[in-house]
Amino acid sequence: MTSSAPATPRVARRIALVGRANSGKTSVLMHLTGSLQRPVNFPGSSVECIESSVVEAGVTLNVVDLPGIGSLQATSRDEELALEVLHGRSGQRPDLLCVVLDASKLAVELAFLQSVRALGLPIVVALTKIDVATAEGFPIDAPRLQQALGLPAVVVHGVRGTGAPELRRTLATAALVPANANAAAVAVAPAARTLRASRTDRIDRWLLHPLLGPVALLGVVLGMFQLVFVVADPFLGWIEAAQGFVSDHVGGWLPDGAWRSFVVDGVINGVGSSLVFVPQIALLIAFVTVIEATGYMARAVFLLDRMLRCVGLSGKSFVPLASSFACAIPGIVASRILGDERDRLATIAVAPLMSCSARLPVYVVLLAAFFPPHQAGLLLFLLYLLGIVVAVLVALVLRRTVLRGGTSMLLMELPAYQRPRCRLVFAHTLFAVKSFLRTAGTVILVATMVVWALGYFPRPAAIHEQFEAQRTAAPAGTEGDATRAQLDAAEAAAYLEQSWLATAGKAVQPVFAPAGFDWRMTVGVLAAFPARELVVPTLGTLYSLGEVEASADEPDVRLSTALREQKGADGKPALDGLIALAVMVFFALCSQCAGTLAAIRRETNGWKWPVFTFVYMTVLAWLAAVAVYQIGRLCGYGG
Amino acid sequence: MSAARTGCRYAVVAVHGDDAIAQRLTAGGLWPGAQIERLGQAPFGDPMLFRLHGYRLALRKSEAQRVQIVEVAS
Repeated sequence: MTSSAPATPRVARRIALVGRANSGKTSVLMHLTGSLQRPVNFPGSSVECIESSVVEAGVTLNVVDLPGIGSLQATSRDEELALEVLHGRSGQRPDLLCVVLDASKLAVELAFLQSVRALGLPIVVALTKIDVATAEGFPIDAPRLQQALGLPAVVVHGVRGTGAPELRRTLATAALVPANANAAAVAVAPAARTLRASRTDRIDRWLLHPLLGPVALLGVVLGMFQLVFVVADPFLGWIEAAQGFVSDHVGGWLPDGAWRSFVVDGVINGVGSSLVFVPQIALLIAFVTVIEATGYMARAVFLLDRMLRCVGLSGKSFVPLASSFACAIPGIVASRILGDERDRLATIAVAPLMSCSARLPVYVVLLAAFFPPHQAGLLLFLLYLLGIVVAVLVALVLRRTVLRGGTSMLLMELPAYQRPRCRLVFAHTLFAVKSFLRTAGTVILVATMVVWALGYFPRPAAIHEQFEAQRTAAPAGTEGDATRAQLDAAEAAAYLEQSWLATAGKAVQPVFAPAGFDWRMTVGVLAAFPARELVVPTLGTLYSLGEVEASADEPDVRLSTALREQKGADGKPALDGLIALAVMVFFALCSQCAGTLAAIRRETNGWKWPVFTFVYMTVLAWLAAVAVYQIGRLCGYGG
Repeated sequence: MSAARTGCRYAVVAVHGDDAIAQRLTAGGLWPGAQIERLGQAPFGDPMLFRLHGYRLALRKSEAQRVQIVEVAS
């Protein structure tokens, strides 16, 4: 990046990066402007128009990365977006096109270039994947090709970024004259292919084997879950321990009263409970990014296409659905890669049923509280399976009713395998974690404080006086200390019982009574509708306010213990394994995420689909929770 | 093209139809004269995998059926 004297007036060029799917546009953009997007080895991964700028030789280059297009005829939503920009229908028409050509499939790419010339815009060519072409047995004679094209052309190496400074200079200085639309097509006689099978061919022999291929895919998916649940586990323990440590120390400095309760039960609890998600989100995003970057994601789509078509989806639905296990919002955006509108709508409608990482803490807390570890693992697997099975059924029903018909197609490149770049996986993961924490820092924290306030107030003096009298009456010394601790806990519970939160929970509780929820769990469910991340902090506030002080010295099992030991009005435990199961089934199916509904609204341009998704999921969740509880009772489980 | 055998080489004769799918097939490199080779298929025989112009293209059987091919000596 060279910068001229600040007095020089800046000239700006609007440049569109154009290329076929998986031609390496995003990689070029990254090396061109230093913007850290995520170039991945999956056709159709740039589903948004990403813009970034850089100054070169006194010219500001505003580069917009368009979604990959197959031709100048749009067949999917993301191609439409790209073509709108190219024809100047959306925003300002670009001054210059930077056409990215993948050298490893040059014949097709040159035909594409020929059709882009017809747009009548100036063109600079960036030639990528020269190394892949060589590895695949089609070495390219770059200088001769550059000459034959009759356009400014620069070779850019996708991994190292060599050629990027030269491309920047070319883009800043190229004459802005339209490319000759009538130029003769460049014919490349492909060099004789070396007979040796390429590395990708040899890997595919195993990974696309009719029997071993599906086994390998199953292994990859199971590996993903293993990674999330086993590797993330120690991190969860550390975060919870740190939270316990901070609240014990900060609690010690503050005087007893509303402020201490606010800081410890409201703020620290809220922040800690949302930080607990970070390891899982980071691992899932990193894993999905690595899978895309290696080129395996396209293989997974290829292997699963037939199966997913049986349930009315497409092989490409696998990508949005797999991302939805981390978070449904990027999953819904990713469904733009689906060519057929009905496939896309069906995928969007079922994506929120995949158990996202925000549901995991609910499962983890309840499973740890009520089930031995060997059962907990199996139940966790079944909860994930439940989401998938219900998604399949809903997709089937949708494709046979409101989304009947349609001709979808699968025309997809299986790219050469590539080694994922650590820096990019790291950058992308960091980006995902940061955007999650922005939500956690605002929505979750604010909602936690509101829930705390509703649970803390009102504070009638009568309760305090009643318990103060009993405390004074208790005998002095060690014996009296135990009695006083019990009285303190009973006082906290008495305050909570008459709080605004309890009043609301008790009013709504009859709706959830058939599923066995007590009023506390009802409050947790209600508080989770804006974002299900809120349920763990809410339950934390609800059950720890009335908590017996003795369990405070085991911070990592704090909430699980509190849930197990909570007594109902009749003295029996308020929750048991069966109720916990009903709660988890409810969370597995319920639509409790304002962000997801907003994403659906944006992607479908209307309220119909978000409203439909919210209603069907919530109704299904309630029915399933009631069914679990009632059938369980009939079979003699639970108290 | 859906009847292509693994390991044999073929040349595209024509793509049938004049809709978006046909245009996409042509834009993907399946124009008359293009050399293709069948590499394999997914479980249950669908979709199918071909090599053309040096890259790997996955196609469903229903789409492959629209492409008329002729075997060429390898």
